[in-house]
Amino acid sequence: MNQILFGVIATMGVLSALGTVLARNLVHAGLFLVAFFFLIACQFVMLEAEFLAAVQVLVYIGAVAIILMFGIMLTRNIQGDDTTTVSRAGFIAGGLAAVGLLTVLIFGITHEEGRSGRPAWNSVTTRPAIYPASARKSESQAAAINNMGLAVGEDLLTRYIVAFEAAGILLTAALVGAIALAIQEGPVSDDPSDRVKSKQNAESLAADEAESLLTSSRA
Amino acid sequence: MNVACDWAFPLVWAQQSELDSIPWLKWIIVLAVVFFGIFPGIVAYTVWGERKVAARFQDRIGPNRVGPLGLLQPIADAIKLITKEDLVPRSADRWVHLIAPVLILVSAFLVLPVIPFGVGLAAVNPPSGLIYLIAVSSLSALGIFLAGWSSRNKYSLLGAMRAVAQLVSYEVPQVLSIVPIILWAGSLSMVTIFDKQVLYGWFLFSPPGMLAFVTLTIANIAEVNRTPFDLPEAESEIIAGYHTEYSGMRFGLFFLAEYLSVFAVSCLGTAIFLGGGTLPWPLTGEPVVTLGGGETLFAMLLLNLPLIGIFMAKVSLYIFLMFWIRATLPRLRVDQLMAFAWKFMVPLCIINIFISAVWYECVIRPSKPNYLLGWGVTLPLVVVSIIGVLALYRSSMKAEPVELTTGSRRRSVVRSVS
Amino acid sequence: MNDIPLTWFLIFAAACFVIGLMGVLVRRNAIAVLMAIEIMLNAANINLVAFWRYGTPVEGDSPISGVMFAIFVITVAAAEVAVGIGLILLCYRRWHAADVDRFDSLSG
Repeated sequence: MNQILFGVIATMGVLSALGTVLARNLVHAGLFLVAFFFLIACQFVMLEAEFLAAVQVLVYIGAVAIILMFGIMLTRNIQGDDTTTVSRAGFIAGGLAAVGLLTVLIFGITHEEGRSGRPAWNSVTTRPAIYPASARKSESQAAAINNMGLAVGEDLLTRYIVAFEAAGILLTAALVGAIALAIQEGPVSDDPSDRVKSKQNAESLAADEAESLLTSSRA
Repeated sequence: MNVACDWAFPLVWAQQSELDSIPWLKWIIVLAVVFFGIFPGIVAYTVWGERKVAARFQDRIGPNRVGPLGLLQPIADAIKLITKEDLVPRSADRWVHLIAPVLILVSAFLVLPVIPFGVGLAAVNPPSGLIYLIAVSSLSALGIFLAGWSSRNKYSLLGAMRAVAQLVSYEVPQVLSIVPIILWAGSLSMVTIFDKQVLYGWFLFSPPGMLAFVTLTIANIAEVNRTPFDLPEAESEIIAGYHTEYSGMRFGLFFLAEYLSVFAVSCLGTAIFLGGGTLPWPLTGEPVVTLGGGETLFAMLLLNLPLIGIFMAKVSLYIFLMFWIRATLPRLRVDQLMAFAWKFMVPLCIINIFISAVWYECVIRPSKPNYLLGWGVTLPLVVVSIIGVLALYRSSMKAEPVELTTGSRRRSVVRSVS
Repeated sequence: MNDIPLTWFLIFAAACFVIGLMGVLVRRNAIAVLMAIEIMLNAANINLVAFWRYGTPVEGDSPISGVMFAIFVITVAAAEVAVGIGLILLCYRRWHAADVDRFDSLSG
């Protein structure tokens, strides 16, 4: 049952990843990417990390995909053109490199021998149980899995506090940097509504693009 | 109650289904009835209610031809929508055009399973239910974007751009005004939040709770694109926004999704601020959960019927509030909309999180809650912060010259240069 | 009920990572490259969570170490996309193209 479910999700995940990479139209690629993100969230559920799955959907589909879509809208013709991939030779070279790496990775994964008293990856076919209380050793893990939001919060503010603060600084820097980069030339004020304005610029730019699209489709 | 492994995700489902296979069947029937029967029915009569309410506000009668009081009007509308031709523009991106409304509808539907309508009546109870809810409700932005993009129509595209900018902006205050609840309940599970409100009273009944409820309501109205935040589908400016090019039942799906998300955000507000199906004063001395746990089906029903009734009454009031606002207020301008989100709502919500921490220290953490101290400290803080943020917001709006959009300014600059 | 072997997750992640790598190599559009990088990061996340779930927890370590790793990866990825899109927009305004091949003013 689980294996079938995994197989379905994995197949769809690989297919949507391929679609992202190969789709000519960038918005279609973005749509495939959204499907891929969602299937990764499904895999997180299969791994019993449902908090992470929710975070994945929230951050990737709710934010990253939207930003990417905005980026697509602002940087190209709305109609997909076919200059998004390299030449045939480059395509073959890239494909060969990818297939080669995949071979190496699969070989490595299936032939791993396990270091210093740990089992080889190949022989790990079951996960530590969390439902019955029999698995004493992973009790704290079981508690964490059953209420992951709580466990993540506690860990963030105790064990990973430095990383948490660093992530906060990084996000602030990224926010300021993104605004500073994306803001348009011209009369610029330094108030926090700049982000808003860049969004409005996005809107007006989109309007321009839409107009050009309409004229081109009429022609 | 078996809380530890109670969340129904595939692995647990699979484990249970080995014990007996009937729950699967039961689930499927329940889902089919509730999700494809009851919720669309609620939507239909929400639409009818909105038409009636709006008519009364405008001194009209509203629908009264089909059935008594026009009660069969939604069915007539549905038949009309279904029988209309489903047009797809020739230059549209066909598949994306077909997927987009489904995506929006799915996002609206997916919110509902975690809402606790009564004791044991949340379809699933994941321990991170609130995060899940926020996550799936953010899917609709993507659907709207795709709807606007795939239509190949500049009004659609403009509407979609407006909608996405608005949804992304107002998601921030929406989430920030939920944070106090997470802090007070100490959990992300909707059921636990409901239980805590049974213990501590509604989360609304505290100064930071009231402020958070108001900000959540404003953000909710913006999230479901209703007046005064209905710029994405402003008829007088951009026809019908992102669903300009949709017709027939596909337009009906947008309609369904819009009213379903109205219902969903009302359920959210009711469940986390208004104590779900409970009354403001406690019915019994002990938590409702212990009453419902392990009882017979009949006892569960008896317990749940009044809970569902009260819950639905609160949801109806909340929806009526939205109708009222829609019938009363004019539409905002784009710059006002954005400035209101980023300069007023977000700072206020962030300050409110700190105030709610004070409330937590005064009332929820001590074994003996000190309500007097809590109200005495937080009420002045809330009032001062509202006044302060409002003053800052007004001064910043006054300092900036009014301009319609940056786009028009840019064009005028270009014109003056040339 | 058969559990899923660990290697299945690893191979799935490897496949996704390789597809992402191919995307980085094959695509010319900067945003498409960014998307491919996101695929690679997600594949890495699958690995982190799979090892966390299948490994025996170490005494004194965080009970959800793999999940925490993944959360930080997601954080950094979100920041990366925001800055990346900002950069691409800037480059697009300057060179009127979003192709990575066109951003070559530093090459001699």
